[in-house]
Amino acid sequence: MRSSVSYILSSSTTEPNMSHPDYEQFSHDHAAILILLKHIGSQLKPKTFNKFYDRISKINEVKITDSTGQVRNITVRFVKEHPVENNDWGDFQTHRRLLGLVSLGKYDSQTELNEVCRVHESLKVKYNATLYDSRCVLFGPAKDSTSGSPTDVSSSSEDTSDPKTTVEEYTTPSNFKTRALFYEESSVCSDLENQITEFINSLFWVLESKKLERSREKLERVSLLYAPFEKKDFVGLDMESRQNKKRCTGRMTKHLGDLCLQAGLIAESLQYYTNAADILKGVNDWLWLGAAYEGLAAASALVLYPNMQRNEHFQRIGSLPEGSPKKPNPEAHQNNPTVVRKNIPNVLAPDDISKRYREAIIHYSKYQNAGIIETEASFKAARIAVEQNHALQAASFLQNVVYINLSLSEQEKIQRFETLADLYTQIGFNRKAAFCLRLAATRYVSPQNPNPNWSRCYTLMLQSLSGHKLLLDPIEMQEADQGWAVLQIQILQDLIVAAKRAGYSALATRHMTFLLQTMWPHLSPTEQKELAIQLQSLSVQCEGSPVPLVLDSGVVVPPANLTDIPLCAGFVLRDSKPHLRPKVIEKEKEDTGPFLFTPIHFGTGSLDRRKDKSNPKMDFLWVENEVCEVSLKLINPLPFELKVSNMRLLTSGVVFESVPETIVLPPDVPTSLTLSGWARESGELEIAGYSTHALGVKSNCRLKYMSNTFPFMYKIDVVPGLPVLQISTSLPQSASFSNFHDDNIVTSASVSLYHGEGAQCTVTLTNDSQIPIEMLDVTISSVLEQNLQDEIFRFDEEEVKRLLPLLPDQTATFTVSLYAAANFLAPNTATSPSLPHELNSGLFSSMSTSLPGNSLSRVNSSFRSSNSGHSSLAGGLTALFQQQPISSSAVEAQLKLRYSGGAGLESQHCRTSTVFFMVEMLPSLQVTNWDVMPAETSSQFYLVLDIINLTTQEMELEYAHAKCMLVEAQESCRVPVPVDRCPLSKLSDFYEEYNHSKTSVDVDKICSEHIAEQVNLKWLLNATDSSGLASLKGITLNSRMLDVVRMSPLQWDVKINGDAIHAQEDLSCEAGDCMELQMSIGNSLETSIKELALSVQFYQDYNNGTLNYRMDTRLAIAGTPKKILSVLEPQETASHKCNVIFFTPGLYKMDIQCYTPDGASVSTGPLINTGHVWKFTPPVSIQVK
Amino acid sequence: MAVCAAIVGKENSPKFFCCVNPDEELNFQYKVLSSLDIIEEKLNPTNKPGTEIKELYLGMLYSLETCKIYGYVTNTKIKFIIVVDSSNLQLRDNEIRSMFSKIHSEYADMVSNPFYTPGEPITSKLFASSIKNIITGTV
Repeated sequence: MRSSVSYILSSSTTEPNMSHPDYEQFSHDHAAILILLKHIGSQLKPKTFNKFYDRISKINEVKITDSTGQVRNITVRFVKEHPVENNDWGDFQTHRRLLGLVSLGKYDSQTELNEVCRVHESLKVKYNATLYDSRCVLFGPAKDSTSGSPTDVSSSSEDTSDPKTTVEEYTTPSNFKTRALFYEESSVCSDLENQITEFINSLFWVLESKKLERSREKLERVSLLYAPFEKKDFVGLDMESRQNKKRCTGRMTKHLGDLCLQAGLIAESLQYYTNAADILKGVNDWLWLGAAYEGLAAASALVLYPNMQRNEHFQRIGSLPEGSPKKPNPEAHQNNPTVVRKNIPNVLAPDDISKRYREAIIHYSKYQNAGIIETEASFKAARIAVEQNHALQAASFLQNVVYINLSLSEQEKIQRFETLADLYTQIGFNRKAAFCLRLAATRYVSPQNPNPNWSRCYTLMLQSLSGHKLLLDPIEMQEADQGWAVLQIQILQDLIVAAKRAGYSALATRHMTFLLQTMWPHLSPTEQKELAIQLQSLSVQCEGSPVPLVLDSGVVVPPANLTDIPLCAGFVLRDSKPHLRPKVIEKEKEDTGPFLFTPIHFGTGSLDRRKDKSNPKMDFLWVENEVCEVSLKLINPLPFELKVSNMRLLTSGVVFESVPETIVLPPDVPTSLTLSGWARESGELEIAGYSTHALGVKSNCRLKYMSNTFPFMYKIDVVPGLPVLQISTSLPQSASFSNFHDDNIVTSASVSLYHGEGAQCTVTLTNDSQIPIEMLDVTISSVLEQNLQDEIFRFDEEEVKRLLPLLPDQTATFTVSLYAAANFLAPNTATSPSLPHELNSGLFSSMSTSLPGNSLSRVNSSFRSSNSGHSSLAGGLTALFQQQPISSSAVEAQLKLRYSGGAGLESQHCRTSTVFFMVEMLPSLQVTNWDVMPAETSSQFYLVLDIINLTTQEMELEYAHAKCMLVEAQESCRVPVPVDRCPLSKLSDFYEEYNHSKTSVDVDKICSEHIAEQVNLKWLLNATDSSGLASLKGITLNSRMLDVVRMSPLQWDVKINGDAIHAQEDLSCEAGDCMELQMSIGNSLETSIKELALSVQFYQDYNNGTLNYRMDTRLAIAGTPKKILSVLEPQETASHKCNVIFFTPGLYKMDIQCYTPDGASVSTGPLINTGHVWKFTPPVSIQVK
Repeated sequence: MAVCAAIVGKENSPKFFCCVNPDEELNFQYKVLSSLDIIEEKLNPTNKPGTEIKELYLGMLYSLETCKIYGYVTNTKIKFIIVVDSSNLQLRDNEIRSMFSKIHSEYADMVSNPFYTPGEPITSKLFASSIKNIITGTV
């Protein structure tokens, strides 16, 4: 656009130069009357001045009826500053002249008033060359007399001696020759607008008169008008030449155009401009030709776009959404101009306006000294292009501005860039605008700038961010993920430097944080490291914190959080320890069967995972006022050690108190960390993330903004407080648990017991919490069968109930009894004892005198029995012990304590603690064989046991009352235990009912239980001082044994010589004496016994297994030794008498028995079999001398 | 020949940047970024309603004291930008055009690579070297 003949036509650069460009000019300003609104004196506050400035500058258009009755539209432009040099260009373009002056001042005293007046007068002198008129607005001191005093009435004081002013307390000095307007600062000043309009009127009339004066001059005789720098060019030139004459005429015509335009005569001005352009083109007066073109274009624009106005310049606020650049609606002004254009001749078409401007600019560019005119023209042209909605054209005009080489102050250069940026923004060239803002920003702090202003630089840098698609909010920024990363990094770094230098350390930290947070992926590792270190040093001055920063300009800088330094690789809410987990009381189901869980997912694994993500509600619970934990896995992405301090959980919902944590993270190694805290209320807790303090920046790292995908937040229910029970036992802890792995185990108790030994375990409960325990539910569980378990582990539920309530810090105890239950019977394989007949028949002889140890060798072969498992108890024990028949075994069980209290109980929650019991059972003694033998009395029998001491110590065995025996370790012994025979009452069922379904097994069982009841083998290990009780539970008996064991249904009563026989009592008599035997049998059964034979038999036992029944030569019986009873009714007694005489001395035995003869029985119970023999036991022995 | 070439994505984010002199890269990035304003303006359909842009070559976007910037837009709104030194006068408009069409065909080949995700910055070394060859005129 610029002419290639730049600077050719301008000869010298020393000429005074219009050095103060006015970038804000519009082409419309060509038609405006320039008025300076000046703030004078120090009393008036700038704020008040601005208020009045705004008020006055609203009067920018005044309609004035001229002398011909035509209404003129006069526009006014108020400025606050006007360099007096710019007046020099007033001949070139008249709108540059300052025509009016309004000064505003305040005074409190006469001296101040004088001073204000003096300043005003001096201003008048300063602009004397161009000034037409002036006003001085004076704000006096507040009058406290009356509100009705003439405060609002301006007192014009054209003349200081005017008597009106005497009303005022203060008077203007005598040399003050201006109309002063007196107001009170706080009042409404209602007629101010009228006064100003009147002032503008007066200016107009002066202008009008000047215009008329000029237009009346003869064009041939006018003097040459100069641009300021041209004066020297024309020195010595022949002004009378035809060329110069034309030049003078052309310039004057153009000047008239200017005046007409200002006086509101657009049509005339257009005419003048057109003429001037024609004339000036002819004489190659480029500068003025340019001016004529510009005037023409300006006037045309005024016609076409009357509404083009300075838009209110306000700072963009960062938090506001960025609107599209303001482009005027092209249709809005479409109709109006076309109408107007027809009425006014010489108006340029819209396209031509730009063309003319372009030409004008090219012409200006030929003169170096007209640089400012050119710049201003470019801006004006650009503004018209903006109005015309020709962005590219506007851009080209603006581009031209950059090329114009002006010697400007830094401040003006900055202003130029700011204006450029503003206009670029208007045409939607945000990037270009940002670029210009950045240039302006750098100018503020360039080395050439004598007083660098980092603060301004920072503000502009901040404004330039949006053009580079940088949003201040890191979250939006990351979501948008667009823009020119390399440049964005550069710009942010510049911004940080600016903020730092400007002293905004908080902002510097914030921006650095932002840079690291948003640009991390675009940074090289070295940059990452350097920037992190820079951030650390920045944050030393001002710590970063996650609060929005509000700038003076109203821009809000949202918080930036370093969510990925350190990078969170795992965020898991921890369930409390198993025994502290709250459980719902009703729903607790321990055993839910085997088929509720399946590891097979039928290919829905991915679906499930997604479901987990969408539902971040935890399936476990936390407890109020108890430590809740979240474990994190953190990775330090920086190549140096990173200290992260003050890490807390970010929560919402119920009140949560988080414990700050500090951790030092080595580079690139994932580190685990647990964050803990207490929920102080019950309800739903939401965990949104955590806060950190890393690199000197406090960050709120929310899960949803992290680069790793986490759920937006985790939710967990917090239940009301539950008590905590501390449990200990009196027994030592076991080394290991084997079978059970219940997570709730808090402690364990282990004990070694010999079979049959018992122990007490005291369980101590301490309430550690501040909540009383109001519910306690104790159960024992194991894999054992219920009844066996009950035998081994026992506690008193009533005792447990009595413990409640357990108040805080109280301790209570209850006892669990342990008993090493075992099967003491050797698991021999022999199923049914088969006793040889000889034993059966000759038992009495061998057992007659001394049972223990007498004839063991003979019995051994058949002295066997089995415990093939009749009772369930014995079966269970057998199953348990069969694997390790002799060696020790261990029983494991859990003592489960469910407890609750306080608010937790109300919400139906409880806790479960488990005590693990391990009872090691050592074998103590074992009964390897057993048999029964009739005792000396009929009410008892002997249970003969072979007992082996399985311990390694000497054992003292008390097998019957006051009968003790020492058994060496691993030795066995045989003991006879006198046992009461099983009374009939226990067996009566079997005699009563002739029910064959009840087999002899049941009888066996009853007898076995009877024995178990009766026989208690007390053992004592002297070395360890442990004692126990072995029971014979599950002992099995064969039918022969049963006969001995159970009480005979027949009641025997045997008398010899009238005396009753006592067991073990030896009877003696002389040979030849007659002994009277008297015997009676009573039926103890409820039924009658039929076909009963009672017999008496004598024999001699040689104690070698031989029983001699052939007693014919040795004794004689008087009376029948055999009596048949046809029927014996219940409770009936049958008696029999006979006498016996022994012929030779010796030891005789008498066997009294009762039997049913073969085939005699018809229908009897199972016990009364045919051929069954009842004997009177023991056999009576008689010593005959 | 040209001093710099750039490929800018649909959302005006850089996809590829190639500079003959790597030291000046930042400088050129600013220039290319600024030129996007003009490309956008030229592509703005409201400016010339009804006239669909058939020509991919946008011509010179703007010229600076040191360089001239040319633009080219594919139908998928991928922008190619070439920066030419202002002092280089022998480079004609036609040559710029052919340079653009070469870049376009290179780009098309590159996008056809199944391992390239459209929209991602281009990191292919082969592509970088062929673009460099195109702008330096060694092809």
